[in-house]
Amino acid sequence: MTVDVPSPASHASALGDRLAGAVLLLLAIAAWWHARTFVTGFHQAVGPDVFPRLVCVPLGLLALYLLVRPGINERWPGRAALLRQAGLLVLLGGYAAFLEPWGFLPATLVGSVLLMRLFDAAWRQALVSGASLTVILYLLFEFALGIPLPDIPGLGL
Amino acid sequence: MEILGFLLHGFAVALEPQNLLLALIGCAVGTLIGALPGLGPVNGVALLIPLAFNFGLSPTAALILLVSVYYGTMYGGRISSIVLNIPGDEPAMMTTLDGYPMALKGRGGEALGLSAVASFVGATVATIGLTLFAPLLVGFAIRFGPAEYFALFMLAFATIGGVTSGSFTKSLLAACLGLLLGTVGLDPASGVSRYTFGWYELYDGIDFIAALVGLFAISECLLFLEDRHQTTGASRELGSAIPGMRRAGACKATIARGSLIGFIAGVLPGAGASLGSFLSYTLEKRWLGRQGDFGNGDPRGVAAPEAGNNAAAGGALIPMLSLGIPGSGTTAILLALLLSMNITPGPLLFDQQPDMVWGLVAALFIGNVMLLVLNVPLVGLFARVLRAPSWLLMPVVILVAFVGVYSLNNSPFDLYVMLAFGVLGYGLRKLHMPAVPVVLGLLLGGEMEFNLRRALAISGGDWSILVGSGISVGIYAFAATLMVAGLVYAWWIRRTPEAG
Repeated sequence: MTVDVPSPASHASALGDRLAGAVLLLLAIAAWWHARTFVTGFHQAVGPDVFPRLVCVPLGLLALYLLVRPGINERWPGRAALLRQAGLLVLLGGYAAFLEPWGFLPATLVGSVLLMRLFDAAWRQALVSGASLTVILYLLFEFALGIPLPDIPGLGL
Repeated sequence: MEILGFLLHGFAVALEPQNLLLALIGCAVGTLIGALPGLGPVNGVALLIPLAFNFGLSPTAALILLVSVYYGTMYGGRISSIVLNIPGDEPAMMTTLDGYPMALKGRGGEALGLSAVASFVGATVATIGLTLFAPLLVGFAIRFGPAEYFALFMLAFATIGGVTSGSFTKSLLAACLGLLLGTVGLDPASGVSRYTFGWYELYDGIDFIAALVGLFAISECLLFLEDRHQTTGASRELGSAIPGMRRAGACKATIARGSLIGFIAGVLPGAGASLGSFLSYTLEKRWLGRQGDFGNGDPRGVAAPEAGNNAAAGGALIPMLSLGIPGSGTTAILLALLLSMNITPGPLLFDQQPDMVWGLVAALFIGNVMLLVLNVPLVGLFARVLRAPSWLLMPVVILVAFVGVYSLNNSPFDLYVMLAFGVLGYGLRKLHMPAVPVVLGLLLGGEMEFNLRRALAISGGDWSILVGSGISVGIYAFAATLMVAGLVYAWWIRRTPEAG
């Protein structure tokens, strides 16, 4: 056993693993507890609650081990990177939400242009490439593959 | 001789024009995906699965397409290793060590030619091995009962990822997490809903494919946004590939050793192509000792890992097809595809659908030749695509993934699942926790539970049935051996500097 010398890197690394260990431990306990609701009317040698509970045991134990003896992590990103990542998730979540109400073409056009901007394209590049990509995907799925994509309401496109 | 007859029949299937065309498309697309930094074989196959579904292909045709993509990515991974010093995928990591120095000396073309031949030989050796050994394994596995299958699943989980990732605890944790996620949905045996919390979209369980694409492709994009590495490659002349292909003759011993080591690494559960290329490179280096100039552009340093990783890629198909237990991340995804098409790989598959199995094997032989031929004229083109700006590449990848996953069920819910798994996958990478065991757990959990229940139904609730036969005890013993081997390997890897 060596005592951790608190250098900034190792400190940060231990934190990530400890956090993950804690979350997974809670998950294991919660999943074990929730499994009590899996009841059947008839008798089975192995009911629906047995397997999840069997999995929860090593999950919990290993999570506990990770909590106590954390290993190596990558460096976590800085504020600017975190913002960009959050931006990507918000953008994609928004795209998923607007895909059906708006229809494929407008949603994808807006989505792809913003996406390219997020990956550092200039406005002109993003507009031109986003529009082309939207049209190519539309033609590919709608006509070449014959998969209907969500239409623009009222237009049938 | 019986095998030869099956194989000939397989060639008849694989040589149908549609299958031949799909193999060609698969090889070209696969090479391209493999070449793009960050989009490894797992991502490539995961991205194309929704598309393969949408083509309305028969299972055989879809599998031929995806396996060609799989072999193609293995070929492609080396291109960016050599040209850009960025491995196109994880198994191609070792190729950067001597491949990039060769490119810096203006011998990039030679390195590409040599590695194409090495890849070809490695993949061919593995495909021959597949042809010979898979039926043997099937003959053995046909006697397995549910208890033995349960043991086999334990073997898969105890060993997967443990060898390559370094942290055994984390691999096992990831596997348990995957198994738990795999129980979400309606329990098939009793109809009880588990962990769905009233979301009817979850009744069918978590969609594998949405989860896969999220875990690999979306997390890759999140990672990419963080460090914005630039793809400014060696813009110097590559030179012709032909002298490199000739040079392969001089490296034949290296290529042979690499292929053999890679093949063995591929067949072992939980190892896969990364281990294949790593072992081939390091063992070759030790074998040659001072005769080699490894790290400074020794051609043998390119030939060994390329033969190794392609051989391992083929070897990994053996446990996947004959036992239904994948030996690597990519084969896990191929398994996902088969399961989603209601095909369960395993010994019965060889009996019930010989067309498919042998057509696939034949397609691998054909694909290999195609890849070698494609690689000579197209290497320059592929190398040019690598210089496509990331602001174009990444959004294209994301949107193809999005539309592909959406069109599986026409459901935005799958897209949210994909995003959630993207965040999970990103977290796992940051924690150095491998994502492949999560996928395996998600994928195999249902089957594992089914076998457990059947075994206990047979024994009337007596748990000792799980260790009741020589075969299952043997499998547990094998699992234990592999775990010990993994620990020894982890110790060895720490002593070998190029692993880090």
